[in-house]
Amino acid sequence: MKEYILLMVSAALVNNVILARFLGLCSFMGVTTRIDTAVGMGLATTFVITVSSMVNWAVGAYLLEPYNLWYLRTVTFIMVIAAAVQFTELTVKKVSPQLFQMLGIYLPLITTNCAVLGIAILLVEGRMSFIGATLFAFASSIGYSLVMVIFAGLRERMALADIPRLFAGPPIGFIVASLLALAFMGFSGMSTTG
Amino acid sequence: MNSTEESQRDFSAPDIVEGIAHVVAVEGTMVWLEPEQTTSCGSCASSSACGAKGGIGTTANRLEARRFALENHPGLVVGERVVVGIRENALIKASLTAYAIPLATMLGAGAMAQWAAGSDGITMAAMVAGLAIGLGISRLSAGHMFSRGDLAPRFIRRANTGVVCKIT
Repeated sequence: MKEYILLMVSAALVNNVILARFLGLCSFMGVTTRIDTAVGMGLATTFVITVSSMVNWAVGAYLLEPYNLWYLRTVTFIMVIAAAVQFTELTVKKVSPQLFQMLGIYLPLITTNCAVLGIAILLVEGRMSFIGATLFAFASSIGYSLVMVIFAGLRERMALADIPRLFAGPPIGFIVASLLALAFMGFSGMSTTG
Repeated sequence: MNSTEESQRDFSAPDIVEGIAHVVAVEGTMVWLEPEQTTSCGSCASSSACGAKGGIGTTANRLEARRFALENHPGLVVGERVVVGIRENALIKASLTAYAIPLATMLGAGAMAQWAAGSDGITMAAMVAGLAIGLGISRLSAGHMFSRGDLAPRFIRRANTGVVCKIT
């Protein structure tokens, strides 16, 4: 139990996908102008990353490893991620067409989000058990969503602030992102080895 | 915002997130609208070369799939641009319903199976079952939200020429 908690803390905070591994920066800058859109994108990404990681683990353990096909892992994982996004899209549409109308616009962005593929590759390199891999993927995506929401909150406040024209827009966004990354570096002092 | 506007603002009123849509069809008392919205990163400098915009499932296809109907009270005609809105917390509620409930049941089922059996195969089967149960609960919850009108966009006003969508 303790090892799973440490694994999740490590994945979400110490090795944060965005601020420590610098993955998923396109959506980090593109979908964080409002908190509610950041929450929508974060939860959609969390769902896709968790589901695709489960499938990727199974494909790796039962197909790639027994037949010595590891050299195909990148293309295989990309296919699995695309299929997971399609599955999510169809499922949300089936569960509620009204929800799909509100949330469907985020799904194509997830297919091209490098954080999803990055986590899948980290999982196979970690050689974890199924539940360990799933919790790692879930915690990594929770860390991604957390940073998205924090950054969206900061950007909502910056929209009301009196910022010099030279820095307005993306420049101040990148400066704030770098300060946030420095703040998250504080977590690297935490021991997650038990 | 100056202090007078701040003091007159009604903070108890629900905030509305606004977006622009244009009328694509009128059927009796109903009007069909299509949101004027690119993908969220559509304004990016690399958008012309970005995979999110082209290929299978293009923006145009997705916008067509996201057409919605409203009652045609203000006498709208095809081609007209209007401002529509949803409650600010509707998107968060919708996201929690669509994604958080299935994730919670899936991980809960997986954790219980791992604790009880400790086998990867059984955990995998339990998580798939948990996902199916979670999707069923989501469906019920979404139906409940829809019947209360929480997910329905509403007509705000006609859009002036030159007004662009600010939603990202």
